[in-house]
Amino acid sequence: MKKAVRGMRLVYLGGVMVPLIGLIALLVGPLLWPVWAEVKGGSKIYRYRERVASGYYEGYEVSPRRARATVARPSTKRGLAAYGASSALVRIRTRLPDSHRGLKFYYRNSCVECHPKQTRNLHSVRAGITCRQCHGAEPIAAIKYHYSPMNPIRRHAYVCTKCHEGANVAFGTYLIHEPRAESAAAKENFPVLYYAYWMMLLLLGGTLAFFIPHILMVFVQELAMKKKKPAIDFLLFFIPNRFIVQWREKLIKKWKPPIDKLIFFMEQKFVVAPRQLLSKIRKPANDDAKDIH
Amino acid sequence: MMTQRIYIKRYTRIQRIFHLWIILTFLTQADTGFSRLFITTDFGRFLTWIFGGYATAIQIHFWGGVLMMVCFGTHIIYIGIKVDWKNWKKSIFGPDSMVPNFQDARHLVERALWFFGIGSPPKFDRWAYPEKFGYWGVFWGVPLLAITGLMLRFPLLTTQFLPGWVLNVAALVHRAEALLAIAFIFVVHFFSGHLTPSKFPMNEAMFSGCVPLDEVEEEKPAWLERLKKEGKLEIVQAKTPPLWYRILYFSFGSAAFAIGIYLVIGAVIYGRYVQLH
Repeated sequence: MKKAVRGMRLVYLGGVMVPLIGLIALLVGPLLWPVWAEVKGGSKIYRYRERVASGYYEGYEVSPRRARATVARPSTKRGLAAYGASSALVRIRTRLPDSHRGLKFYYRNSCVECHPKQTRNLHSVRAGITCRQCHGAEPIAAIKYHYSPMNPIRRHAYVCTKCHEGANVAFGTYLIHEPRAESAAAKENFPVLYYAYWMMLLLLGGTLAFFIPHILMVFVQELAMKKKKPAIDFLLFFIPNRFIVQWREKLIKKWKPPIDKLIFFMEQKFVVAPRQLLSKIRKPANDDAKDIH
Repeated sequence: MMTQRIYIKRYTRIQRIFHLWIILTFLTQADTGFSRLFITTDFGRFLTWIFGGYATAIQIHFWGGVLMMVCFGTHIIYIGIKVDWKNWKKSIFGPDSMVPNFQDARHLVERALWFFGIGSPPKFDRWAYPEKFGYWGVFWGVPLLAITGLMLRFPLLTTQFLPGWVLNVAALVHRAEALLAIAFIFVVHFFSGHLTPSKFPMNEAMFSGCVPLDEVEEEKPAWLERLKKEGKLEIVQAKTPPLWYRILYFSFGSAAFAIGIYLVIGAVIYGRYVQLH
């Protein structure tokens, strides 16, 4: 027992205390340094500029930077050939002041006919909010157009605050049109969500994959075990007993020594050896004293 | 005729109160949570109807969560009082503690091998490894659910310190951790507590606080040996619970079991019709 306790102390310090400290640091860290949360608009100088500005913004001022991790990567690639930087500004619809410019029969269509996937969001499904309540009336500016109300620098003020009074810039980076967590799109545009999903699924799957066979094992064995007997006797009750006995003896002969060896080896390596190492580290002075005498 | 069985004490009164507390809050949280998660299906609409609508369900969910957090906080204080700090190494890593140790890994291997008829059954001490796993599952699950739940409840406050996309992740983690907890409690914990042949129809220990001596001899031989060695066997002998109390906790436990199974079956049937976002 004592051996195990000694070994476990190391495991405990490494395996429990370190993650615990990490978790605390993760939770407390942002409190000390809120800058991380705030996108540009959070800084005093930008707020000042916004107040005094006449509505004109430089491109670098309004293009999203810190929050880009969750927004689809801008690309000039369309079809086979890429657009140049200046023609991309005109030709790519996600950057136009009127994103539906020149579409035929535009006014006869509803949004969902062309954007069926975009209805899959919490606001539509659970709160019954329609597209126009956020995206506004015609002309609907493209999401990456600098002066769009949906631009991350003013989205919180023009859109979110309609319902969420007091929303700030960081609040505006909540992803409404969230990709499915397990999809390739999420892996590319929102990796944190993607990996969180797979981690939780692994945890769920791992726990159930271990414990459901475990409870079934206990169930079967207890059914079999009026007097303590291995469950295999119960499972193989239709085979004549002598075969089982022989088979089990063979199994024990084959597997008992290597398993005992393995347990012994593990104990030596993880309990006895660290203990010796620790005792060596702890008592160097005594050893020196012995040498002198 | 039944012979008189000797009972020994396994759970103190405060431990049983903690368990009852977590049962009540957990069932509330599972029901109200499912009512919101499954709102796009008939199953969810029925649950929501019970709890007085979509908006009321979340209020109950919030206050249930607060009670659960209070339970957790009280438990932390209880641990702080219970640990013998002068003798902390023995108290924390000893056999009466819930902290896992090397012995548990060994018991697991022994248990699996014994299933195939190799070796002898593991000699469990007071807490066996599945019990420890369940305890630590709740111990980490409650703070995780509490933190993500509070973040989602107070998004404006959260986004003063964290970027908004953290809320996307928090919603996912809250949902996934809740499903993990529900799957573990309503499938694994209920199966081993109610349906295992030796425990059927219900494991009374957590409500009555005591277990019969012959059962301990069979399941936790190392604990019994330790008690005998320390001469504590007479001290821990307990009275059998009165009949009215047995009737009460049998009906309560069966009701909890029924609710759990109802939720699991509903989730399996209606899971494919859930529209999250």
